[in-house]
Amino acid sequence: MKLSLSQRILFFTACCCLLFTFLVASIIRSSEVIELTFEQNNYAQNLVNNTTMIKQLIIRDDIYTGNYNTSSWQDSQRKLINTLKLSPILTPQEQTLKNSINSQNASVNRLFKKIKENKLKNASESIKNHLKARLIIQLETIRSDSEQLSSIAQKNIHEVLKQELIFIVTILAICIALLTFGSFNLIRIFNTSMNEIKEAFKSNHSGNFEEIKLSHHSQEFASIAHAFNEMNNKLADTTVSLAVMKKIVEERTHVLEELSNTDPLTKVANRRALFERGHLEFSRILRTQSKLTLILLDCDYFKGFNDKFGHLVGDQLLIHICRICSEEIRDVDFLGRYGGEEFVIILPDCDIAGGIETANRIQQSLSQHCLLIEDNKICMTLSIGVAMFNEKHKDFEQLVNDADQAMYIAKESGRNRIVVYQDTNLH
Amino acid sequence: MSFVFLSVSFQHYWQEEKYPVTIAVFKTPLSTPFYVAQSINAFENTCVKVKFNNVIGGQVAFAKVIEGDADFGTSSDSVIAFQSFNNQPFVTHAMFVQSDNDVKLITRSEDNINAVLALKGKKIGVTKLTASEYFLSTLLAIDGLSVDDVELIDYKPEQLIDSLINNEVDAIAPWEPFSFQSNQRYKDKISIHDTKNLNTLSFNLVSLPADLKNLEKAKCIIQGLNTAIEFIASNPKAAKEIVINELGLSPAFIEWIWPDYIFKLELNQSLLLNLNSQAAWLAETHLNFNKKQPNMNRYIDSRAMLQINPNAVNIRP
Repeated sequence: MKLSLSQRILFFTACCCLLFTFLVASIIRSSEVIELTFEQNNYAQNLVNNTTMIKQLIIRDDIYTGNYNTSSWQDSQRKLINTLKLSPILTPQEQTLKNSINSQNASVNRLFKKIKENKLKNASESIKNHLKARLIIQLETIRSDSEQLSSIAQKNIHEVLKQELIFIVTILAICIALLTFGSFNLIRIFNTSMNEIKEAFKSNHSGNFEEIKLSHHSQEFASIAHAFNEMNNKLADTTVSLAVMKKIVEERTHVLEELSNTDPLTKVANRRALFERGHLEFSRILRTQSKLTLILLDCDYFKGFNDKFGHLVGDQLLIHICRICSEEIRDVDFLGRYGGEEFVIILPDCDIAGGIETANRIQQSLSQHCLLIEDNKICMTLSIGVAMFNEKHKDFEQLVNDADQAMYIAKESGRNRIVVYQDTNLH
Repeated sequence: MSFVFLSVSFQHYWQEEKYPVTIAVFKTPLSTPFYVAQSINAFENTCVKVKFNNVIGGQVAFAKVIEGDADFGTSSDSVIAFQSFNNQPFVTHAMFVQSDNDVKLITRSEDNINAVLALKGKKIGVTKLTASEYFLSTLLAIDGLSVDDVELIDYKPEQLIDSLINNEVDAIAPWEPFSFQSNQRYKDKISIHDTKNLNTLSFNLVSLPADLKNLEKAKCIIQGLNTAIEFIASNPKAAKEIVINELGLSPAFIEWIWPDYIFKLELNQSLLLNLNSQAAWLAETHLNFNKKQPNMNRYIDSRAMLQINPNAVNIRP
């Protein structure tokens, strides 16, 4: 049975109320019983007192004299009979004692009346003493029975009090046990549910939109969890997590970086990226003492092609050159647009021979792959300058400058050739 | 299986020893607590295994105890008072019934004896040394007469009615059920006088002086009687049925005597006073009795009662 927290509290309160009602009812019932036993005790005590009074009359007075005044006797008897009539509720055993008292008193009365009727003034002393003794014995029996009645009442009072004490202690113990159990149970449910909600908020804060799963079902926490879970679902749908956001930013940054480093026409590295890579390689060879060769190539008569076929064809020519170069260089080599129709290839770990060989391959490939545009076969040539790093180079720009000088010499020397930079400009 | 065997053995080992006890019980409704106790198995959970020896009269029951034919007996206060003069050792453990109309005075209707005074000089049949004799002496005393003013003739209780019908005596003092039987048989011929409340007799549990073992037996018998008396108080109708069945009595007889009986278990000062009074009266009225009145305290033993129902013990030495 699934109960809400408030239902549990209500049930728990109802149980306690029920127990306390039992307790109060029991106390009321016991007080009634005790009141009755007190009544019985008083009744018995009154009987004892009345009987003692009559007994004293018998002992004190000479009941055989002719002028004996019976009014005191009659008064005392009336009191005793009235007391007997006003008896409280009695148990069967107590009723037996009352019957005995009634019987004995009837005997006392009859014997007394007989004595008075028969005028035993002149009877022998032994008869007088015997009959008087009979009266006293009957009255003593009444007194004994009354005392026994009183003892039973007192015993009952003690027993009722003892039973009630045991009952009250038992009920209180049950109440305390129930209260403790109920309180601990409620606190446990409350704390567990609160912790589960707190943990869910923490997870939510970290971007993990996890649902609250309650260990203990309670309507109140279930409604909170339901509302939270709904909110979480909506947030999960509309909110990008930090990790996803980082990934997106990284992707966008990468794209932007590529855009900023790439020549939009030829899709090779632009001048900024070229120099960034060049500085990096330059720093590396300074650290590792390895080799670095640079090729600077320039498209021969590019302006003429532009003028003759238009800029769009010129653009196609540049793209074609870049494709040829990209195919002929190694993976570790780096191709970038230096400016206009000039391109630079950085060749890490490559000596001058390697540079020349690469330049040759590019020239050969280009000569073999002329561009076909609108039935016009356009074959291009390149003027290439090659320079290798040496101790005189202080930065990457000086190396580029050397390659540029070599390329310039190649131009001056008739184009479509490879010139290696030397301090004396040979080749 | 072994658990059951162990359980039975254990129970047997710890079961209280049951003393076989013979009680000489006066076969009369006055002994109702004994018959009820037997019927409702009130002795079952006590230490005694009871066997009744039914007798006619408390005097016979007393004799059975003295002679060792019974462990316990039921005797009237008058029998106890009479027997106290014999210096025989015995004790009274508890009183279990009282009646203010058990012994009655019966005369022949044709004699027109309407007053006790008219008995002066008459022959009266009694069962001597019993409640019958004591009742008559008290009845005479109320009218200023003594036993010397009449001629007492001793009869067995069951012979009394015939002695009256046969004109052997002028009056008789029988106890129940003989008065009832007389009334049934000779309703027109006899006159039963109203003597209710003029004398109260009680019946008591007596035994030889109790050693510890006998005291334990007395305690167990009283325990059973206590249960029976509580049953009688709570279920008088059922108790009457038991007595009718046990004693083979007519319901009419039970209805006749039941209102006169009060079944209660006690050992009170009134019993001691009563015994002393009766002893004094007997010493006075019987010329052959020792004039030195016996100490009746010797014949009361309250130890068993004090263990079972201390509230019902009220003896002052």
